[in-house]
Amino acid sequence: MNISTVTPTEIDWSQLFNALNIGLILVDSNGEILLWNEWISKHSGINYLSAINQPLELVFPEKLPAPFVAAIKRCINTKLPVVLSNALHKYPLPLYSPQKSDEKLSQSVILNPIKDNQGNWNCLIQVTDSSASIKREKMLRDHSETHKKDATTDPLTGIYNRRFFDSHYKIEMNQAMRQKTTLSLLMLDIDFFKNYNDHYGHPAGDAAIIAVATCIRTTMKRSSDMVARYGGEEFIVLLPNSTPAAAQMLAENIRSAVEDLKIPHLNSLIAKHMTVSIGVSSFLPGMVVDATTFLKNTDLALYAAKQKGRNQVQFLPL
Amino acid sequence: MFNLTDLHLDALSEVFNIGAGRAAASLSEIVGEEVKLSVPSVEIRRSEELNVQALQLEQSHFGIVKQQFSGTFSAEASLLFSEESALEIMRDMMGSQMSVEELAEFEQEAMCELGNIILNACLSAMADMLVIQLESSLPTYTVYSADEVIQNIVDLEDQVYILILHINLEIERRQVNGRLIFLFSSGSLSSLRTKIDSFLQNI
Amino acid sequence: MSTETSDVCSLLIVDDSRVSRMMIRAFVLDKHPNWVITEASSGNEALTVVDQKHFDYCTMDINMPGILGTDAAEQILVKHPHLRIAIFSANIQEVLRTRAADLGAQFVAKPVTEKSVNIAISFFKAGRV
Repeated sequence: MNISTVTPTEIDWSQLFNALNIGLILVDSNGEILLWNEWISKHSGINYLSAINQPLELVFPEKLPAPFVAAIKRCINTKLPVVLSNALHKYPLPLYSPQKSDEKLSQSVILNPIKDNQGNWNCLIQVTDSSASIKREKMLRDHSETHKKDATTDPLTGIYNRRFFDSHYKIEMNQAMRQKTTLSLLMLDIDFFKNYNDHYGHPAGDAAIIAVATCIRTTMKRSSDMVARYGGEEFIVLLPNSTPAAAQMLAENIRSAVEDLKIPHLNSLIAKHMTVSIGVSSFLPGMVVDATTFLKNTDLALYAAKQKGRNQVQFLPL
Repeated sequence: MFNLTDLHLDALSEVFNIGAGRAAASLSEIVGEEVKLSVPSVEIRRSEELNVQALQLEQSHFGIVKQQFSGTFSAEASLLFSEESALEIMRDMMGSQMSVEELAEFEQEAMCELGNIILNACLSAMADMLVIQLESSLPTYTVYSADEVIQNIVDLEDQVYILILHINLEIERRQVNGRLIFLFSSGSLSSLRTKIDSFLQNI
Repeated sequence: MSTETSDVCSLLIVDDSRVSRMMIRAFVLDKHPNWVITEASSGNEALTVVDQKHFDYCTMDINMPGILGTDAAEQILVKHPHLRIAIFSANIQEVLRTRAADLGAQFVAKPVTEKSVNIAISFFKAGRV
């Protein structure tokens, strides 16, 4: 495709190149800089004249990460495009926010092999600010009609759904067994929820489920802990590296926080407001127990909490 | 068997294992741990005979990274892991300090990179050893159910042959199984076969 | 290509890929047409064969069904310390190169080419003082 046949010949390519909201650097097979756009200048503090024809690895004051340099070489050798996720390469290039010059910029990078008119292979480095990559991910998702964005979240409450919990639970269990750490589980059930739904109606029932889910989530403090909606009015909480004592304490905090919501529940047989029953169980290092048994035990703990009068926490050792 | 003999498949297996070795080295540099990647088997099937049992898709959902490549011949390459395996790999690659929310957020981007590294390494090994030119699109990542995976393959009109590679990926002593799938038209498969024949003749 | 017709050495090629074995055999015979070559398709098979026949040299793949090639090499060297082993592998990471060196074996990166086979052959012949 000849560019001049598809665009007006009056186009000033350097203006376009420098107006882009993406960083562009072109390096040759020796790693020397052929092109360097305005976005890169602005975010690196290094202008075009200082960069052009310099080796990329030497033009910055800091050493470039080895995996990034290796990726550029791979791109030129294989002539295949390479993606560098922000997840695995937080800062491939030393770039900073123009507004806050000491704040390093999270980047997503794509490398494209580009052949010039003499048949030499060069590497085009495209850099985007990672927050802009959320837009790109959305584009990638939109390409497939079948991917549901919320395949992992419960549509009503916005917390994780059971499917996500199931796969994550297995991973955490394996990790706890391998690394010999504790893993605790909480199973919660809203007391007399059917009565609530029957008396106050389904929309109120939904609102109550959302309120309890939010309450559980805000009571939880650690980012490694997760809560998921396990059933209609059932929730499950996964606590990696949590001792039985800490798990029980969290359970009690949740129980009391739900009670404090003071959601009127006249048809509850044990209180005037909405309450939850919670079963707690812990997997300790060295235990020879599988994931299903651990889950069943936590369920039994919940059952015990119900049997013993509801609105309480029961711990059942494995 | 279906245009490719056992010897052809053996040659491909060697080629893909070279690719796997290169991918493992790149991954190892990123995670800072030893990474083992191998291709224990290669088989070829016609896409219409595919079902969930044939691909051994026991889990419910799969994360798939796809790249389209073209050049000496064209094909669609997919790297397939069960969603559970994908999350395990993410956890191993990004460190267990990440919260569950962060992991889920990064899954798409990080899986794209993982798939890109493995697919590119296999494609470039094919290109080097079989003396062919190949270009590729950028990777896309999607989560599909087992049925959707089969449907997407069976529905393709001109991609009649499917090359299935079983792969084992081991990071931090945890092993995960996946599949590498190449979809070929009969014309593309013929081109591939011709190149493998040349390769074998030159030995 | 120089051929040393005076030396008749015995080589054991261990690899689960028939194509790999064919390639190593072809490159070796090209340089040393008088060498006697035996093939094995697994580490276990190799362990059996080394006790039945005498070998001067061995090439060993790593990822094969059954015992790992490096483990097979280790066991072989215990019983036959004079056997020169070249470990051919697609796995090029440092850990493996170190393991090979620790065993007293030569690490050779795949793919099997004239060049990589020559590295193995040089290692083999270096043992003959």
